[in-house]
Amino acid sequence: MDAQLQVITFLRLVMITLVPYVLAAQGTMLGGRTGVFSVAQEGIMLVAASVGFLAAYYLGGLLYGVLAAMLVGGIVGLLLAYFTTTLKMDQFVIGLALFFATAGFSSLAYKVAIGVTLIPPLIPTLPDVPLPVLSQLPLVGDIFFRHNVFVYLAIVLSLVLYVLLYRTGIGLELRAVGESPLAADSLGVNVTLMRYVTTVVGGMLMGLAGVYLPMAYTGTFTEDIVRGRGWLSIALTFFGGWNPHFILLGAFFFAGVEVLAFRAQVTNVGIPYQFLLMLPYLATILVMIPGFRWARVPAFLGRNYDREKRAQV
Amino acid sequence: MVVTQASPPRLSRWLMAALPYVAAVVISFLAAGVFIAVMGFNVLRAYETILFTSFRTPNGFIQTLLKFVPLTLQALAFTVPLAAGKFNIGGEGQMIVGAIGATAVGILFAGAPGVLLLPSVLLASVLAGALWAAIPGWLLYRFGINEILSTVLMNFVSFQLINYVATEIWPDPAAGHPTTVPIGEGALLPLLIRRPPLHLGFLLTIVVAVLVYIYVTRTVYGYELVATGANPRAAQVYGIPVQVLSVLALVLGGAMAGLAGGVEVAGIHRRLIEGLQSNYLTLGILAGLIAKGRVVAVPFVAFFLSVLEVGASAMQRTMMIPGEMVIIVEAFIVLFILLSEVIRRR
Repeated sequence: MDAQLQVITFLRLVMITLVPYVLAAQGTMLGGRTGVFSVAQEGIMLVAASVGFLAAYYLGGLLYGVLAAMLVGGIVGLLLAYFTTTLKMDQFVIGLALFFATAGFSSLAYKVAIGVTLIPPLIPTLPDVPLPVLSQLPLVGDIFFRHNVFVYLAIVLSLVLYVLLYRTGIGLELRAVGESPLAADSLGVNVTLMRYVTTVVGGMLMGLAGVYLPMAYTGTFTEDIVRGRGWLSIALTFFGGWNPHFILLGAFFFAGVEVLAFRAQVTNVGIPYQFLLMLPYLATILVMIPGFRWARVPAFLGRNYDREKRAQV
Repeated sequence: MVVTQASPPRLSRWLMAALPYVAAVVISFLAAGVFIAVMGFNVLRAYETILFTSFRTPNGFIQTLLKFVPLTLQALAFTVPLAAGKFNIGGEGQMIVGAIGATAVGILFAGAPGVLLLPSVLLASVLAGALWAAIPGWLLYRFGINEILSTVLMNFVSFQLINYVATEIWPDPAAGHPTTVPIGEGALLPLLIRRPPLHLGFLLTIVVAVLVYIYVTRTVYGYELVATGANPRAAQVYGIPVQVLSVLALVLGGAMAGLAGGVEVAGIHRRLIEGLQSNYLTLGILAGLIAKGRVVAVPFVAFFLSVLEVGASAMQRTMMIPGEMVIIVEAFIVLFILLSEVIRRR
C-alpha cells in the first residue's frame, strides 16, 4: 500500500472512530455545564447499545434503534437529574448506582431477548452517505465527506453546541447555572429546569454514542462492546476543557490513538499486542496531566443547588 | 450511677435504624419480582432460589463463604478511600495485579518451603495491589487528576497485563484459555475445613476487616482520615495532611484489593487465570455503598451479597433467569437506601 493511501485510510478511520467519543463527551459537558457530573456514561452506552440493537433487530430499521437508544439514554438522564437536582443526593454515588444498574440491564435485556446463540443475530451497519459535490474533492472528499450520518452529526452537533453556549442568551444562562446557580437564580434563570434539560439531552447523546457501536462496528451487541469508551469520554471532557469545540479537537487525538493501536496490532510491529491495546488508556492518563491543569472546570460541578439553604458558597 | 436523659429503649432504636434497610431490600425484591413475572418465570421459586441456596447444603454455604472473601476485601478497598472522600473504582485492576504478583512469586520460587513461600506470595499480592493504586494516588497528589477516572483506566490496562502474563510469560498451553502454569505447592493456602474445602483466606479476611475497623474508629490516623472525608477544608485548617491521607487511603485500598487477588490464586485457582477477578469489583462497590461507607457494616453486607450471588448463579442454572437480575436489585437497594435518607431529612 502506498503512503498516500495509508494516510487517507488512517484519517478516514479516525473520523469514524471519533464519533462515540464526541457524542458521549458533549453529553457529559452539557450536563456538567449546569453542575450535574454524570459518571454513568459507560453504563448508558452499554444499555443504549443493547436496547438500540434489539429495537433495530426486531422492528427492522436502524432508525428504531436510534430512537430507542435516545429514549433509554434520556430516561437514565432524567433519573440522574431527579435524584441529584430534586432530591439533592450525591452525584457520584447516584452515577455509580445508575452505571451498575444500566450495565446489568444491558446484558439482561440481550440475554432475555436473544439468549445464547452460536451465530450472533446481525443488523445492517450504517451506510455511507457521500455528500454531494464535497465528496468529489480530491483527498479531502475521501477523508471527510464519505461517511455515515453519525460522523456528520458529531461534527455539526459540536459546532451547534459551541454557538449555543457562547453566542446565545440561553447559552450564557446555561453556563451561569454551572458557575453560580445562586446568581443565576436571583436573575430569574430557572436553575432546576436548566439542569434537567441538559442532563436529559446529555443522556440522549450518550445513548447515541452507545448505539453507534453496534451500528457502525459489529452489527451486533456484545457485553464488552463499549470497552471503557464511556470513561474515556469523561477524560476527553476534561481534556477539552469543558468546551464543545476543544472536545471535538481532542476527540481526534483519542480516536487517533485507538486507530493506531488497532492498526499496529494488525500489521504486527513487534510489540506484543496486549501492550498496544493498553495504549488508549495509558495515553489518556498521560494527557490528563496537562488536561487537568488547563481545564476550566465549571465552578459548581458535582454539587447540588438548594435555593432554600442560607449559606451558599 | 448517673441517670441519663430518657431515650427510646435500645431495641426499638435498632429497629428504627434497620427499618430503611429492610424496606429498601423488600421494595427492590418486589420490583425485581414484577420484572421476573413479566418475563414469564415463577417468582416465588426465583426468590426461594436466590435467598436459600446458600443455606440448603454444606456445599452452598462454603461457596458463599468463598465468595465472601474477595467480596469483603473489595468492599473494604472501596470503603477505606471513601472514608477520606475518594472513590476507588480501580479494585478490579488492583486485584488482577495482586494476583499477578502472587503468581509470579509462586512460580519463580516454586520449590521454596511453605513457611516462606506462602507469606511471600500474599505479601507480593498486597504490594502489587498497593503499587497499582499508588499510581492514581500519585496522579491525584501531584496533578490533581480525578481518582475515579484514573483508577478506572488502570483497570483496562490490567486486563491486557494479565492476558500477556498468562499467554506469553508462563502460559499453560494445555489450558485452552489464558492460564499460567500452577504455583508451587508451598504457596497454597491451608484448608480450614477439608470437605467441602474452605481455605485460610476466610480467617485472614475477618482479621483484615477487624484491623480496618480498629484503624478507622479507634486510632488517631483513622480519625484524621474520617475528618478529611467529612470536611477537607476544616481538616486542613487543623493541620491534618489532607492530601497525603487521601493518597494513603487509596494505597491501603489497593493493598486489600491486591490481597483479594492473592487469596484467589493461593486459595482457589492455584494459578493465574484470565477473568479470575469476576464481578467482585461491582459487588464490592455495591456492598460499600449499601453499608453507606461504615466499615463495621461492610462484612455483614458483603455476606448478604454473597448469599444473593450464590443464589443468582443457582437461579441462572436451574431457571434460566440471567444472573444480572441480582446486580440490578442491588443497585436498586442502594438507591432506595439513599432515598430513605432523603425522606428522613424532611
